[in-house]
Amino acid sequence: MIISVASGKGGTGKTTVAVCLALAAQYCQFVDYDVEAPNADIFLKPEIKNIKKVTIKQPYFLTETGKNFSKCAQFCHYNALAVIGSEVIFYPELCHGCGGCILVGPEGAVREKDVDVGEVAKGFTGPGIDFLKGNLTPGSMRTTTVQGELEKMLNKKGLVIIDSPPGNSCSMVMSVKNSGYCILVTEPTPYGFNDLLISMEVLDSLKIPYGVIINRDGIGDLSVEDYCKGKNIRILVKIPNDIEIAKCYSKGGTLFDYDMSYKVKFQNILKEIEGFVC
Amino acid sequence: MKLCITSTGTSLDSNVDPRFGRCPYFIIYDTDSDTFESIENASREAMGGAGIQAGQLVASKCTGAVITGNFGPNAFRVLQAAKIKMYSGVSGTVREVIEKYKSGQLTETSAPDVQSHYGMGRNS
Repeated sequence: MIISVASGKGGTGKTTVAVCLALAAQYCQFVDYDVEAPNADIFLKPEIKNIKKVTIKQPYFLTETGKNFSKCAQFCHYNALAVIGSEVIFYPELCHGCGGCILVGPEGAVREKDVDVGEVAKGFTGPGIDFLKGNLTPGSMRTTTVQGELEKMLNKKGLVIIDSPPGNSCSMVMSVKNSGYCILVTEPTPYGFNDLLISMEVLDSLKIPYGVIINRDGIGDLSVEDYCKGKNIRILVKIPNDIEIAKCYSKGGTLFDYDMSYKVKFQNILKEIEGFVC
Repeated sequence: MKLCITSTGTSLDSNVDPRFGRCPYFIIYDTDSDTFESIENASREAMGGAGIQAGQLVASKCTGAVITGNFGPNAFRVLQAAKIKMYSGVSGTVREVIEKYKSGQLTETSAPDVQSHYGMGRNS
């Protein structure tokens, strides 16, 4: 079973929750899908055993052949190529590596090479948690390509906890699309509520069941809680707004270091989700 | 010689649009015959690379100079490769700007004015 942890608004506590779930489960695979800013390793402190590069194919143009490459530029949906007379200007940051220019361009004069977009790292935390994370190369736009490599490595037979990137766009969809259940973490503020509604819309259209965790409970207002109650959406747990939690976090500690009773709370959440999904 | 002016509309009384890649129209003005045509900028809604596509369009019209508010780095490279002169920091109506060009009041631009994606989401 795959459980993803997501949030429209950033900084609501996705990693805090995902790490607690993994520690509560004891035996699982933990995957940090936030490849633009992976940080779950700070809390899970895994031993990394294996790092694999992620590459995409990008074209290069043999201009010395004197061939005409203007068809390639006309074809490119992402405008990654300009052809002015005999000059070919390639913009690698715009190229999606689709290979179309090779098909429509002069035969043999457009070649492909591997370009680094990131890496995936594999290791483990203690005896029970398999740890996996992706790391996007700074400047690269290929977030979902790196996530796609993580997807190939998911252990779908066991319990998988996915820590999603913030937001509700492509990279979030990639993180939640295979899950049997999604936990949406939010804070009870107008901003948190607004982005929570967008996340719910995404999950509704993907037909993925979900529940809500309210973090920093006590700030803001009651709009999240009232909405969830009205729509019969399960609030799994509320985590208080307490500076002691922030202090723990800043030292790489978890909620369990703050209050051991959270271990049972998260074990109960896991049981409840298992009962709900299976 | 042909001039290209980025424009908010299709006439010489339209205002100059400050964006090159994402302006609504290009006015192509022939200084020899004092005639002009307006072209809709199809790349204004592009997800990325609007300046690159617009640069190639302008180059295909055999223009000698482009007059606009700002050039981004990608468009700048294309126009430079096409050996098209660039004038930026310009505002007012298209007609006023053509007069300024003719009387030599515009100075050529030697570097991009703004970052990539500057014109994105600024559709007037």
